[in-house]
Parts: sequence; structure tokens; C-alpha cells
Amino acid sequence: MGQVAVQAKQVVRREVSLPPYLLLLLPALTFMLLMYGYPFFSSITRSFINSQGQFSFENYQKTVDLYLKDIGFTFVVTVFSTAVSAGLAILLAVYLRLRQSSISRVLGGLYRVPIFIPFVVVAQMMTTFLAPHGLLNLTLAKVGMVDIKNPLQLFNFYGLTFGFVWKMIPFSVLIIHGGFQMIDNSYIEAARSCGAGLMRVITRVLIPMNRPSILVALVLVYSQIVGTFTLPYMLIGGKIPTTITVDIAHRINYFRDFGVANTLGVFSYLLVLATAVYYLKSSVKKVTGSQASER
Amino acid sequence: MSVKRILILTAEIVMLVLVFLIIVGPMMSLFIWSIAHRWYWPNTLPQEVGLEYWKQALGLHTSLAIGAISIVPAFLLSLLIAVVVVIISMLIAIPAGYALAKYRIPFGAFIMFLFLMPNAFPQQPIFVNLLHIFTRWGLAGTIQGVILVHILVGLVFGVWITSATFRSIPSYLEEAAHSVGAGSLYTFFHITLPLAAPGLLASSVFVFITSLDEFTGTFFIGLPFVNTLPMTLYSSSGYNMQFASVIAIILLIPSILFMTLIQKVLKAEYVGGMG
Repeated sequence: MGQVAVQAKQVVRREVSLPPYLLLLLPALTFMLLMYGYPFFSSITRSFINSQGQFSFENYQKTVDLYLKDIGFTFVVTVFSTAVSAGLAILLAVYLRLRQSSISRVLGGLYRVPIFIPFVVVAQMMTTFLAPHGLLNLTLAKVGMVDIKNPLQLFNFYGLTFGFVWKMIPFSVLIIHGGFQMIDNSYIEAARSCGAGLMRVITRVLIPMNRPSILVALVLVYSQIVGTFTLPYMLIGGKIPTTITVDIAHRINYFRDFGVANTLGVFSYLLVLATAVYYLKSSVKKVTGSQASER
Repeated sequence: MSVKRILILTAEIVMLVLVFLIIVGPMMSLFIWSIAHRWYWPNTLPQEVGLEYWKQALGLHTSLAIGAISIVPAFLLSLLIAVVVVIISMLIAIPAGYALAKYRIPFGAFIMFLFLMPNAFPQQPIFVNLLHIFTRWGLAGTIQGVILVHILVGLVFGVWITSATFRSIPSYLEEAAHSVGAGSLYTFFHITLPLAAPGLLASSVFVFITSLDEFTGTFFIGLPFVNTLPMTLYSSSGYNMQFASVIAIILLIPSILFMTLIQKVLKAEYVGGMG
């Protein structure tokens, strides 16, 4: 009888006192709600408020009139850069997975170099490297591939793609190669012993088995490129067409126009909506799944 | 057979050279610009090279050329901001990471959601709205405002890396400590924390570098009063290529150092959303 009472008391006490994790989480949670949740929420609500402070679709009308082309440009440049990065990254990762040589080991170290280089440095690099008088044009002219009086103009779609791909490939290879290394050699040997050639091993065994990490790489690269401001801002700037991020900066710096800036922001959310949902769903599932299996 | 082998070897060497040129080319371009005193088109290389711009940037020489200011104050400011950001971020991130790793939390999915959203959605609209909010709070254009934004950018990684670290520590070690009479706090500081130290260190260095390199948030919140190193790089890149290249190289060094240091434990979560 006494024991039961003690147990009951313990249960009661446990329910009354705050759970410890709440205290531990409180600072981070408060910070995130105030500094992320609130501005995220207001970035959507403010897009519906016009300069007179009333609810309207004026900002959307204006954004579509002025920036539809830039929204399309952002989408095309992002899809193209993501596809090129993913394609090259898969090739490099397949090579690193299947080939064990001194050259492949050197390449395996070399490809990682750009991984932590910030976009602001990448942007400065690309403005010097890709300029009409830059190192790329000068070198190509020296080899005779380019007429120096008529250099490649790269402060546009192509230069932007080059910069994005340069920065994103290492990151994609890291994820995709990690996935390939989880595939046991026996699968590859089994396919080979059944007479599968190299191409079949890659397209029928390696890539299908590694689909999740390839998808994660695609999703992360895509959503990062949509949100990147520095590279397009320093490479293309106000030229037409430019990216959404540059337009947002112009809207704020020159006009203090938060309405249209936020509407452009909403359009950039819409561009990543599908990838964001996929990413959030799969990450939450992964973490909760691993927690469940631990217990 | 041997012809095939030679072909493969040639293809490998061509690929290596190509990858090397593509990766090193743009960096080479920065380096050449940083030492170019005179570089007239259409010469492939500068006619006159030297360390003049480095000396100017490091404050050893003063020059009246446009945009030639010492970057030492900006460097010190960036360093100060980064140190403060690491301290505050880690103070917030360690308990949160621990809670996410060790407790079953109601609304856990929602909390995780909140911490994952900055990776999934563009962050620029957040900075734009923070500018609006900070203007009301008197934080726009101040160092405190910039620190808050840097914490926001770093905290997400901080929480994820620390929680992954704590999760990797087997709970039977903590249970063993409990069973011989150690209290929760004692166990945390004497068992869990030392085991987690390498992961927490990696996380701190990561937050540090994120703050050092942060551009977009500082651009909206800090300009024109808070001139961190990336801001100085941006403002000089318009008219003084040499100077901007010097700063870019200075910013390049910590990121490559960090990459080589963290090689062994490099994981995808560390990298997402960087820059």
C-alpha cells in the first residue's frame, strides 16, 4: 500500500515538474521562432499588403508585369545548373567507386577543394576568371581557340551556370559517392558474372541502388541555387535577365519596396516548393525512423 | 589488352588534367590578380608583378589609390563577430542538440521541421523581413544585428551537428555512470561532454567559418555601417580587382584549411546550405 503511494507520488511529481528537454530546447526554439518563424511568416503576409497598407494583389500584379522574365530565367538557370552538376557528379562518383588507381585517389582528394569556399569568394573568382579580359579568355586565345578581339561573353547564363556547377559538383559528389560506397562489391560482381558490361552495371545496378542519395543531392543543389544571391549579384548584377535574388536586393536597396520584394520571395518559395516538401519529409522520416529503431 | 589499358590510362590522365584545370583555373586567376601591378590587355600574364596590393591590404603601405584601404579593421571586426557568434550559438545549440538526441519529444517533428526549413527554402526573404523588423527594433546597421543574423545562419548547423554527435554516443555509457551513483549533471560533464568534444569542436569551427564568410545576411542587415571582410571584398570588387582578389584569397584560406582538417569526418549534413 505504502509502495503504491510512493509510486503515485513520483508519477505526480514527474507530471508537475517541467520536462528537462523543454528547458534545454527553450533558447534555441525561442530564437528560431523569433528570428526565423516570424520573418518567414511575415514574408508571406507582407506580399499581400500594398504601399497603402491594405490587403491587395497589387504586388503580384507588379511582380508579374516586371519580373516574370527573371523568374523564368532563375528557374531555367537553376534546372540547367542542377542537371549539369548532377550529371557530372554521377560520372565522377561512378569513376571513383569503380576505379582504384593512384590517379583516382588524387582525383578523390582534388574534387573536394571547392566544397567550403564561400559563394562570395567564388563570385570574385568567376568575375576575374570569366571576364572578357579574364584568364579563361586570355588562355583560350593563347591556344588559338578564341579570337581575343572577340572574346567569350560569360557574364550571363553560361558564366552563372559555370560558377554554380563549379561550386556544387564537389558537394554532389560527396553525397552520391557516399551512397555508392554503401553498395557492396558483391552486387557489382554478381552483375558482371552474369555478363553485364560496364554501362549495364552503372545503369542497372549502381544508379538504381543509389537513387535516394542522388535525389537528395539534386534536391539540395536545386534549392541552394534558387536562393543564391552573391554569385548572380556580382556576376550579372542588374543586367536583364537576372535572378530573383538580385531583383529582391534591387527592390530593397533602390525603392525600399518590401511588398514587391516579398512577393518575389514568395515566388522563390514556390520554385522550391516541391524539393522543399521532399527534403523535409525525407529528413524528418529519417531522423524519427532512426530514433524509433534505437529504442 | 595492353592497348585498352593504355587507352584507359590516357583517358584518366586527360580527366585528371581537365579537373585540375577547372578547379585550379579560377583560383589561379585570383592569385594572379592579387599580385598584378600592371596587366594590360591582351597580354596573357601581367607585365609587372609584386606584393604592393598585399602590403596595402595588410596595412603595411598606405596608398592614395581608389579603394585601397587597410583591411585590418574589417578583418578584426569579422573575427570579433565570428567569436561572439560561435560562443552564443554553441551555448544555445549544445542543450538543444542534446535534447533532440536524448529525449523523446512531443512535437519533435515540428521542432525538427523548424530547424530544417532554412535548408529547404531560400533565406534571402528572411533577411529582407529581418531588416524590416530590425529597423523597428533599432538593430539594423548595427554589429548586434549582424551577430543575430550570423547566429541564425550558424545555429541550424550547430544544432544538427551537435545532435548527431550526441546521438552517436551510446546511452549505455551514461546508464553505467548513473548506476554507480553519478547524477545527471555529473554524468553530462564527465562522461557525455568529453566524448562529444570532437564533434562539438567541429561544429564550433563550422559555425565560425560560416560567420566569417556570411554575405547575404550582412548585406541586408549590416550595410552600410558594418563592414565585415566579405562586405569589403564586395565593395572593392567593382573598381579595384587586385584588392578584391587579395581579400578573396584571405577568405579562401580558412575554408580550404577547414576542408583538409575535417576530411575524415566530412559528412553531407555539414555542407548543405553553405555560402
